[in-house]
Amino acid sequence: MARPSLRALTSDLRNRLLLLLVLPLFALVLASAWVDFRSADDAAVQHDQRLLRLLPGLADSVVAATTPGTEPLLMLAPAVEEFLRRSGEYTAFSVRRVNGELLLGDDWVQGPLPATTAAEFHSVEYGGVTYRVAVQRGETNAGELVVALADGSDPRQQWLQQLMMRLLLPNLLLIAAAGLAIYWSVGHAFKPLVDLATAVEHRSPRDLNPIDEATSPAEVRPLVHALNHLFDMVRAQVDGQRRFVADAAHQLRTPLAGLQAQVEAWALLARSGGRARNFDKNSALPLIHQDSLAITLGVEEIEKLRAATRRTSQLAHQLLTLSRADARNVDASAMERADLRQLCETALELHLDAAEAKGIDLGLEAESVHATGHGWLLRELLSNLVDNAIKYTPAGGSVTIRCGRCMRRGTLEPYLEVEDDGPGVPHTEYNKVLQRFYRVPGTAGEGTGLGLPIADEIARAHGAALELGSGAGQRGLRVRLVFTTDTFSGARPPGE
Amino acid sequence: MRLLLVEDDVMVASGIKLGLADAGYAVDWVGSGERAQEVLARESFDIGVIDIGLPGIDGLELTRLLRRPEMANPAMPVLILTARDALQDRVQGLDLGADDYMVKPFELPELLARLRALLRRSQAATTAVLSFGPLELDSANRRASIVGAEGAVATAIELGPREWTVLEYLLIHAPKPASKDKLLQALTGWDKEITPNAVEVYVSRLRSKLEPHGIALRSIRGFGYRLELVEATAR
Repeated sequence: MARPSLRALTSDLRNRLLLLLVLPLFALVLASAWVDFRSADDAAVQHDQRLLRLLPGLADSVVAATTPGTEPLLMLAPAVEEFLRRSGEYTAFSVRRVNGELLLGDDWVQGPLPATTAAEFHSVEYGGVTYRVAVQRGETNAGELVVALADGSDPRQQWLQQLMMRLLLPNLLLIAAAGLAIYWSVGHAFKPLVDLATAVEHRSPRDLNPIDEATSPAEVRPLVHALNHLFDMVRAQVDGQRRFVADAAHQLRTPLAGLQAQVEAWALLARSGGRARNFDKNSALPLIHQDSLAITLGVEEIEKLRAATRRTSQLAHQLLTLSRADARNVDASAMERADLRQLCETALELHLDAAEAKGIDLGLEAESVHATGHGWLLRELLSNLVDNAIKYTPAGGSVTIRCGRCMRRGTLEPYLEVEDDGPGVPHTEYNKVLQRFYRVPGTAGEGTGLGLPIADEIARAHGAALELGSGAGQRGLRVRLVFTTDTFSGARPPGE
Repeated sequence: MRLLLVEDDVMVASGIKLGLADAGYAVDWVGSGERAQEVLARESFDIGVIDIGLPGIDGLELTRLLRRPEMANPAMPVLILTARDALQDRVQGLDLGADDYMVKPFELPELLARLRALLRRSQAATTAVLSFGPLELDSANRRASIVGAEGAVATAIELGPREWTVLEYLLIHAPKPASKDKLLQALTGWDKEITPNAVEVYVSRLRSKLEPHGIALRSIRGFGYRLELVEATAR
């Protein structure tokens, strides 16, 4: 969740920065184009003025022919001559009669014949060049003529031509470069933040250890500090809750012990038929004798009561174990060298009676192996797994406690395992059965829904994960804890 | 059997008392360590059930005190009851002279089984006679017999020396199972060249001799054997 939104944040930031930078840049380009155009316009006006000033000179340059009927001669005034020479091929002129007949110059240099003697300006396209043409009608030595001057060096035209090269291209390049720079620098500037987000995202929900502030980049250090503060508060809260559960479970045990002792005694008496009092075995057992308010309970009722009491006691014990086994609070340095085979044998002895009572074949397949761990936690782990297996396996089934070595990442690692041939757990439920108080839908049995979660918590306290699978022949459930040597780097070496 | 129960919780105490009385124990109940100390100085009990969490002199202190020679029965086997179950408490309890412990809340049948095992061991230490249901093993005279109902004559059972070793080991540990390895170790005193198969041979011989009397040697897969009473003929 966090990652896409962070990506969205950076791209959002990029877009905003681009917009904020490119819009003013664009306005700047427009403004400079306008200023440029203004100056080009001024220059054009001056050009027109010059053409206007030169026109009379051109008119004066026409010298009437000495012999009538022939073409007039052209004696160019120095100013006009200079203009024509200097601007080279981009200048031209024409002299024609008022009827449009060309006398001198280039034919294309013309506009509509002016009706008055005022100078007129036109734009004429010739040879791919747009010329500014000034046309004036006036009296000359050779009579009334129309003189025209063309200038191809029109700044406005040039401005239009150069607009692309001189103004737009560099500015567009600048904008593109700015965009790239923003893209790169935002990505770069946000990298520590993205890294931090990734680190937080990849955390286990149980991991509330502070992030190392010293190795965090300076930019995100305040954020890391705030996060650590939050982690501290959450951890304090979680610890408080865990302590509360532990205290509550602990406090429950004293009254439960009294209740259970009473009910157990009644059940014994009921089963034995109250030997001392000579009751018939199956008759009701008077709990309150003779007197007025006698309540009688049958053997089965008492045994139901006992089963419920035992289950409540087990729940209190499991809650206590669960809160004590909390992976965050188990001291890794207090680990010891544990004889797995010994643990398996103890678990077998402990559950032999329960298995026998249910007609289940409880067996052992134990090699002599040792592992580094917490003996009391591993005892609880096996106890819960075996208890679960016996509860969920129907009569006539078998439960096997195993320990040995198996291959993990190229090395032989010790493992503990309990396998049954009961109904098993569907693949899709593997994650759920590790959740507290979850029970696979449709399962019978008197489980509390805490056995596997406790085993999982204990596995975590040993830096390992509980491996669930099906037993031999794809039947039943197999739960395994594989010890990994490298997770115990913090543990004391055995024998210290 | 005289049993001293030291427990300050009335509910727990009355439950235990009721259950133990039903199982045939003569139960004396005191509610504090100080009172227990007085009683223990004067009277001798066969076994004690002591709660750790007592006001004043607590269960651990009491266990230490009752081992003093001036007490009436310093060798009394003691089973500690505790609501604390951290490992160090358990170890501490056993270091201070308790013979077994149980965590509260507990199941009465298990308490009874443990008391029986403790009594069997303490009897074996004093009288050299081990018993399990109708079976009696007289270590001093190396005689095994089945004791029938009251007044009936005991039936002797002939056992070879290795069969005796196996049965004795199983009996000392009952109702806990005994591992094949341990049985093998017990047997190597007799024969250095013994094979694991030998254990099976002696067990099967013992079975044929004991099963008619309602005593079974149940195989525990991958582990060993356990001595059990067959319900139909038990009692």
